[in-house]
Amino acid sequence: MALLSWKRDSHQVASQTPAFEDLALPLLPALYNLAFWLTRSAADAEDLVQESFLKALRGFAGFEAGTNFKAWIFRILRNTYLTSRTGLERTRTVALEEELDQRPGSYPEAAIDRQTPEINLLRLADRAMLHAALEQLPPPLLEVILLCDVEEMKYKEIAAVLEIPIGTVMSRIARARTSLRKTLQTQNTQSKEWGA
Amino acid sequence: MTAHLSPANLNALADGELSADQLILVNDHLALCPACTSNALAQTLLKTQVARAGQRYPMPQGLEERMKRAAASRRTPGRSAAAGLGAAAAILLVIFSGIMLTLQMSRRAEVAAIENRAQVSEVCDLHIATLAAGLPPQVVSSDRHTVKPWFQGKLPFSFNLPDNLPNDTKLDGANLTYLHNQPVAQLLYSIGQHRVSVFLSQRRNPEPTEQRQSEQSGFHVTKAGVGDLNIVAVSDVDPARLAGIVRIIKDAQSGTR
Repeated sequence: MALLSWKRDSHQVASQTPAFEDLALPLLPALYNLAFWLTRSAADAEDLVQESFLKALRGFAGFEAGTNFKAWIFRILRNTYLTSRTGLERTRTVALEEELDQRPGSYPEAAIDRQTPEINLLRLADRAMLHAALEQLPPPLLEVILLCDVEEMKYKEIAAVLEIPIGTVMSRIARARTSLRKTLQTQNTQSKEWGA
Repeated sequence: MTAHLSPANLNALADGELSADQLILVNDHLALCPACTSNALAQTLLKTQVARAGQRYPMPQGLEERMKRAAASRRTPGRSAAAGLGAAAAILLVIFSGIMLTLQMSRRAEVAAIENRAQVSEVCDLHIATLAAGLPPQVVSSDRHTVKPWFQGKLPFSFNLPDNLPNDTKLDGANLTYLHNQPVAQLLYSIGQHRVSVFLSQRRNPEPTEQRQSEQSGFHVTKAGVGDLNIVAVSDVDPARLAGIVRIIKDAQSGTR
């Protein structure tokens, strides 16, 4: 039986356009994880996820089907965080891009001669050490490394979420990894000294 | 490629971001350079370890359920109309209708509470962000005949500003801003040394609503509705003073002041 044209159209639209819940609910654990890393508080993370989810729900009509929903909803969460009190407090204390660049020893060339011990260290690094190292990262470096390594986003997607150029994404990832490697090495040295 | 691989290339290699041509060059170099191979291995190991350690915070129980209910309650009425007709038969079962109604009301109340908290949080954040920015308002004027026309063509609605304000209250200016993806007017007042943001937005339900007050992190939020206008004021001033300014703005819409 042929459907009336308006019914056929509505069926096609319904079948082609995924519901908001189908797209958003699977991402809730990832959104909450990032929210907790950013806010460092369970209550604030829950508030941030709820507010972002409702914002995304209200704005879903404006979301262009076929584009990257994950990047879209993460951008909403990140922007909501930036305008929150926690975000404002953190961004006020964050070093500027230039200041981050000028930190001494921020490029991994200095580590090139210590590859083998470092690889062993990375193999042996436990979660607690990595958590501590991640917690020491400034927010701009933390969010970029979480999106890259935990959320497995491509540089282009990260650039869309953070609304920064791809070149900045790449330099922040480099700085984040350099900082993590240095922190892990320092932790390892300290634990050896304490054990001695 | 004879020089050592750059940090950007090592990271792009670990992240799978190299193009096919770049990958051939990098692999050729790695085949001849143990130092870069070790470095690349270290970057890959670090990436794997961070991926594991970064998944640290499991979602609390109940959050997904609350979000599902929030999404379900906002579905378009057109879609649920057919389901509603089907459910009408079930409503004949009186014993269940009471239970269903109670459940629905509690869900709606919960969703409304979540939305209310989100709105309170958002207006507080906007107010704090305005104060933190320390920038002058987009339209700087204490004259209502300057501030109101400034919004012409910027908002899909209009509003009246009160003529007479209490002695220590003055209009500092206004901003065009966005709440829930909708353009809203942010009127900036001072009551003594306290700064007040009053957000005026369009609403669908024209029924007048009573003033309601809530509080978040020391900030008071007062809401009211009149005609097709929502009024939400936020400040750290005494709640009675805040309610007073909302009442004056509300009265100005109906021309009683």
